[in-house]
Amino acid sequence: MAVVDRPFDAHLPGTTPRGQTGAVRALTKALLTWPYLIPILIFFIGWQIYPIFLALKVSFTDEQFLSGQAAHWIGFQNYTTVLRDHLFWLGLGRAAIFTALFVPGMIMIPMVLAVMIDKVGSNRIATLYRLVLLIPAMIPAPLIFLLWRWMYDLRIGPINYLLVDVLHLYTIQTQPQWLGDPHLAFFSLAIMEWWWGLGYHTMFFLAGLATVPRDLFDAARLDGANEWRLFWGITVPRLLPVILVLAVLRFGSAMAVIDEYLIMGAFDRTRPTYTWTVYMWDQAFGGGMQPRGYAAAIGWLGAIAMLIVVIGMFYLFRSRD
Amino acid sequence: MTQEMSVPRAGSSAMIGVEAWHPRRRIAWWTVVRHATLVFFMLIVLLPLFWVLLLSAKSLPDAYQRYVWPHLFVHPLWVNYEYAWQKIPTLRQNYLNSVLVTLGTIVCASVASVLGGYALVHLRTPAKNVVVALLVASLFFPTRVTALIGIYDVQSQLGLINKTWGLIFPYTALSVAISTFIMRGIFETVPREIVESAKVDGASSWRTLLQIVLPLVRNGIVVVVIVNFVAAWGEYLLALTLMNDLSRKTLPVVIATASGGMGAWVWPRLASVYIMAIIPGLVAFGISQRWFMRGLQEGALKG
Repeated sequence: MAVVDRPFDAHLPGTTPRGQTGAVRALTKALLTWPYLIPILIFFIGWQIYPIFLALKVSFTDEQFLSGQAAHWIGFQNYTTVLRDHLFWLGLGRAAIFTALFVPGMIMIPMVLAVMIDKVGSNRIATLYRLVLLIPAMIPAPLIFLLWRWMYDLRIGPINYLLVDVLHLYTIQTQPQWLGDPHLAFFSLAIMEWWWGLGYHTMFFLAGLATVPRDLFDAARLDGANEWRLFWGITVPRLLPVILVLAVLRFGSAMAVIDEYLIMGAFDRTRPTYTWTVYMWDQAFGGGMQPRGYAAAIGWLGAIAMLIVVIGMFYLFRSRD
Repeated sequence: MTQEMSVPRAGSSAMIGVEAWHPRRRIAWWTVVRHATLVFFMLIVLLPLFWVLLLSAKSLPDAYQRYVWPHLFVHPLWVNYEYAWQKIPTLRQNYLNSVLVTLGTIVCASVASVLGGYALVHLRTPAKNVVVALLVASLFFPTRVTALIGIYDVQSQLGLINKTWGLIFPYTALSVAISTFIMRGIFETVPREIVESAKVDGASSWRTLLQIVLPLVRNGIVVVVIVNFVAAWGEYLLALTLMNDLSRKTLPVVIATASGGMGAWVWPRLASVYIMAIIPGLVAFGISQRWFMRGLQEGALKG
C-alpha cells in the first residue's frame, strides 16, 4: 500500500497516455483501500447477513432439529401455516402493544431531562447529572431485568414495601402484582426500560440541543416568551430530527424485544410477554422437536411486518419535513 | 446557562427597578424545580442499586423480610461475597468466560471499526456507499432475532457451539454497525486537509492513520470500547442459545437463570454476585468517563 498511495507524479512510465494511466492507477489505488473494510465485512457478512439468509433458506424447509432427519424443501408451506397461526398474530399484537406503551415515554422523559440539564449553569453539576443518569446504561442487560424483578417482587420488593407498609395505599392482599398481572406486566417492563435508557437517550437529546443556536432563545425571551413556549416553539421543532430517528430505532428494538420476556415471562403462552420473538425462540430452541424451519418462518414474517411499518414511518416523516 | 439567562434581566432590572423582582423570582423558581427534578431522577437511578448493595450485606432472616433496613447485618459485611466467589461452583469460571469474551469483542470491534471508519471517511474506496447502506439497513432490521437460527448454524458448522470464545464473532458482528458509525462520526471531525497534506508529504494511508489520525480520534475509540464492553459483558440471548454447559456460560446468563432464593443462590449471595458483575462496568466507565463524554460531544452521536 505504501507505494500505491504515493502522489501520482513520481515514477510514471511515460509510454501510455497520461490520462488513462492516471485512471488505471487511481482505480488500483482505490481498490487497494479495500483491506481497511475487510474486518468489518468479515464480521458483518459472516455473522449478520449470511445467517439472515441462512435462516431464510431454513424457513423453506421442514427442518426439525432434534428429529435427526434430513430437511426437505417444502416451499412456502411454513409461511402459509404461520399466517394462519393465531399465536403468531397474537404475539405480533402483544409486541405492538408494548411498543406503543414504551416508545412515547422513552422519548418524552429523556427529552425533558436533556432540556433541564442543558440549562444547568454549573458545568460540574451538569456533568454529575449526566454521569449518574448514564449509570444504568453501563449495567449488563440481564442484570437490569434481575434488578427490576427484585424491585417488583411481592415479598421483598421495595416498591410494594413503599406502597403497602409505608404509604398504606394497598394491603398485602391487594398489592399490585407488577409482573404477574397481565394488564400491568407491560407497563412494569416499560418503566424498567425507561430507567435503563434514561441517560443514554438523554445524551442523544443533549447532542441535538448543542446544535440549537443560543441567540434564538435569547431573542424569544426578550420578546417575552416563557419557558413553556420556548420549549414547544423552539426546542421541540429543533429536536424533531432526533425524535424521529429515536422513534424509528426504538420501534425496531421494542418490537423485537426478547431477553426481557425470556427472563421475566417464561414460556407461558397465555401471558402477554409471550410475543412473536419468544414464540420463535421457543420453537427453535425450546421443547419438542425444535422445528427450526417453522421458527425461521416466524422470524422472517415478524421481520417483514416490522420492516413494513419502518418504511411507513420513514415515508410519513419524510413527507412531513 | 443560568448566567446567560439572568444577565440581560439583571441589566433591565437595574433600569426598571421594583418591577424587575417578578421575572427574577420566576427564574429562581424554575431553577429550583429543575434541580429538584434532576435530583429526583438521580435518586431513582441510584436507590435501586443501593438497595441491592444493602441486600448483599443483609443477614438471611432480614433478606426475606419486607422492610428495607435490616435489623442485622452479616459480619463481616463481605461474607456473602466471599462465599459466592469461593463456594458457588463454576462462578469463577463464568466470570473468566465473561472477561475473555468481552476483551476479545472489544479488540475485534475497535480494530474493525477504526479501520472501516477511516476508509469510509478519508479514503476514496469504491462502493463504500453500498457498505454504509447495508450497515444502516441492519439497524432497522431485527437481525438479533431473525438471524439467531442462522447464527446457530454458522457456529455449528465452525464447531463453535459450546465454545465460549466462539461468542466473540457474533458479538462483534452485533455491534459492528454501531461501532463503525461512531468511528465514522469521529473521523468526520478530523479535517480532510490534515489527511491530504500527509498524503502530499508521501505518507501512505496506513502511516497517516497510525501516526496522524489515530491520536486525534482517541476519545471516539474510548466510546467504542465502552459501548462494546457493555454490549458484550451483558449479552444474554446468544450466550444462552449457543452454550450448553454451565461452565461454558457467561456471567449474566448464570445470574439470570439462577432464579434465586434457594440454596447457594439465596438472595444476599445472589445480590453479592450481582454487585461483582456490575462493578467492572462502573469502574471502567468511571475511569474513562472524561474521554467518553468528550468523545460523545465530538460527534460519536452524530454518526
